Amino acid sequence: MASKFVLDFPLMFLNREEAAVIDALVGQIIPSEPGSPGAREAGVTEYIDKALAGFLRELQPVYRSGLIALAEFTAGITEGRFHDLADGQQEEVVRQLAELSERDPSDFAGQFFRIVREHTVQGFFGDPAYGGNRELVGWELVGFPGAQWGYTATQMAPDFNTRTIPMLTIKDLYSRIGGAQ
Amino acid sequence: MSENFDAIIVGMGSTGGILAEQLTKAGLKVLGLDKGQDYTEEDFAIKQDEIRYYQRGAIVAGVNVDPVTWRASDKDTARILPWSAGALGNDEPLYGLPSIGTGGGTLHWGAAAYRFREADFRMKSAIAERFGADALPEGSTLADWPIRYGDLEPYYDRVEYEQGISGLGNTGGVTPEGGNPFEPPRSRDYPMPPVTQGPGDVPFVAATKRMGLHPFRQPLAINSQEYKGRPACVNCGFCHGYPCHVKAKSTTQVTSVPAAKATGNLDLRPLSRVLRINRTTDGKRATGVSYLDSTGTYREATADTVILTAYSLENVRLLLLSDINSNGQVGQHFMTHNFGWFTSILPEPTNPFLGTFNASSAVDDFTSELVPNNDLGVLWGSPIISVVGDLQPIEAYHNMDPRTRKWGLDLKHWLRDNYTHMHRMYSQTTNFPYARHYADLDPTIKDRWGQPALRITHDWDDHDANSVTLMGRYKEKIAREMGAKDYWMDSPRPPYHLSTHDVGVHRMGEDPTKSVTDIYGQVHECEGLYAIGGGQFVSYGGYNPNQTIQALAYFSAEHLLKKLGVDGAHMGVLRAS
Repeated sequence: MASKFVLDFPLMFLNREEAAVIDALVGQIIPSEPGSPGAREAGVTEYIDKALAGFLRELQPVYRSGLIALAEFTAGITEGRFHDLADGQQEEVVRQLAELSERDPSDFAGQFFRIVREHTVQGFFGDPAYGGNRELVGWELVGFPGAQWGYTATQMAPDFNTRTIPMLTIKDLYSRIGGAQ
Repeated sequence: MSENFDAIIVGMGSTGGILAEQLTKAGLKVLGLDKGQDYTEEDFAIKQDEIRYYQRGAIVAGVNVDPVTWRASDKDTARILPWSAGALGNDEPLYGLPSIGTGGGTLHWGAAAYRFREADFRMKSAIAERFGADALPEGSTLADWPIRYGDLEPYYDRVEYEQGISGLGNTGGVTPEGGNPFEPPRSRDYPMPPVTQGPGDVPFVAATKRMGLHPFRQPLAINSQEYKGRPACVNCGFCHGYPCHVKAKSTTQVTSVPAAKATGNLDLRPLSRVLRINRTTDGKRATGVSYLDSTGTYREATADTVILTAYSLENVRLLLLSDINSNGQVGQHFMTHNFGWFTSILPEPTNPFLGTFNASSAVDDFTSELVPNNDLGVLWGSPIISVVGDLQPIEAYHNMDPRTRKWGLDLKHWLRDNYTHMHRMYSQTTNFPYARHYADLDPTIKDRWGQPALRITHDWDDHDANSVTLMGRYKEKIAREMGAKDYWMDSPRPPYHLSTHDVGVHRMGEDPTKSVTDIYGQVHECEGLYAIGGGQFVSYGGYNPNQTIQALAYFSAEHLLKKLGVDGAHMGVLRAS
């Protein structure tokens, strides 16, 4: 079975089991590999929980219903709760769910998958201030230097290796300009 | 109990900021109202945040506050913009109503600053001369403009110098290296050279040159050097869709609005929502506006001059809510842009997070009247524009190759391997106006203040789709010449129907039965009421609308000052600010 979800942040909306299910699902959307962290290591579940408790609160019922729809969809394929399944079984559930979302855009379970995928990408690539992209793993993966004040003409040149630019976050920029004036 | 002013300006954005500056400098007492906030430098001190601005639309009102509905035709029931209102609703600034607050659309714009071509002002005649009088699609309401390029040239110049635009102009008939041999005549060069070029533009320039095309650096309303006390762009890469943190982007929030405030004659009231334009009992004269102030309190203000400078569609909504549409022309002649997005994966790194969106080149070889003879019946062309900066990772995901599986290792590895090699191109093809494409009030959906939502009835026509297809062929040739490993393009009939480039809906014209305003934006049926902006456009070529919108603002301001008898000595004279 896939590795257990470790709850290392205080939940603001989801309960522990719901968080474990979301964590398994986001882990299938952007998987972990040896030496290459995925959505789970990036703290995407924390991003989603924080967002649902705040900016995305209108989607609370969508997530609650979506988790039920995912459980029902899983039950139609195999025995057991989604987050208890082996990696390969989870992948098979997501494969069928993704196909359904393409085939029938109006199907709610497929819709829910698309919403979680959107939020997975946000949590993986958004600034760590939002609770995801821990250790900047999302930016590291693709080579995005993050929240830079600016770039020099030298850095803008075609042959410049931008991987040498130290990655910065919004928080780093505030330490540059100072706090309240 | 109402207060009286010399003029009331509704919307402190691209157009309203300029009107406010011109009128207050001439000594007029102006009330400026805006739905959004009066932004300060401090508000945007740090804005390098893709979630906040691009995903959550921090500076747009959004469809929850300002609902807009859309349907393809009269036979359908309109829904709140289905491409941006769902649970996935990515509040992309590009496909809804533009930013609100001081600066308006110029807060987030990509700053592409183009003068329209001479032929764009006489599109109908030019098409008839070349393709025959019957060439226009059935039922098109296309017309020539009542003004010509030459009428606007001095005002285009003012936009370039007063707002601050960087570029390479042809002066004395000579095209500089990196300039545009097809640009319309100009009286002088741009005040600043172009901003630093993004690395992804280098292969585009090389490829288009090898193809015998004429790439030129795009003129941008972004400082490439210190200008009028504002610094040069620092190439942060959070520009298109974002406010500027160093005041290098020419937005009226940092140009005209502060200048208007400095006169002491502008009473700017942010977070104020205008509900209605008030008129004399016979309806023939404007008397003022009714609005809700920032505390939600109902207020009235009076003035003999009321100027609508909200977004084109919002000007229309205000006119219709005020029952000002006696000739049925308000909301007609809707035109927008179809961008024909084309994404390539190039062999060399493009590092698309560096610098601004448009720190790049375009080719005008196929623009407007220069469109080659073609088998698709396309009558009017578009520039092909290279896009090199401002592509953060989440937006890159939205631009992914549609053939790639969007989950699992396929998704992860695609972004890992391709993000830093992405290059985009777009065009802005004409849509002709038709009676069947219009904006009116939605019969059922209302905003939270109980006012009807604006309804858009629009669908892409064959000529629109064919234009995208034709430009797509050229983009494909360029992509191949760049050695692209992979490329894909948007549908010629994309899901969106608003583009922040929506125009034509309060058309200007000399015949009061066939248009809404005169050439100065004065509404035919109501003395003292003006509607200024892209809504006045009579036809629409392939360039971004804003420089023309701002030229019209200066043109109208000059007329207003003459009319009001306060034609000050400062007019047409640049004063160091």
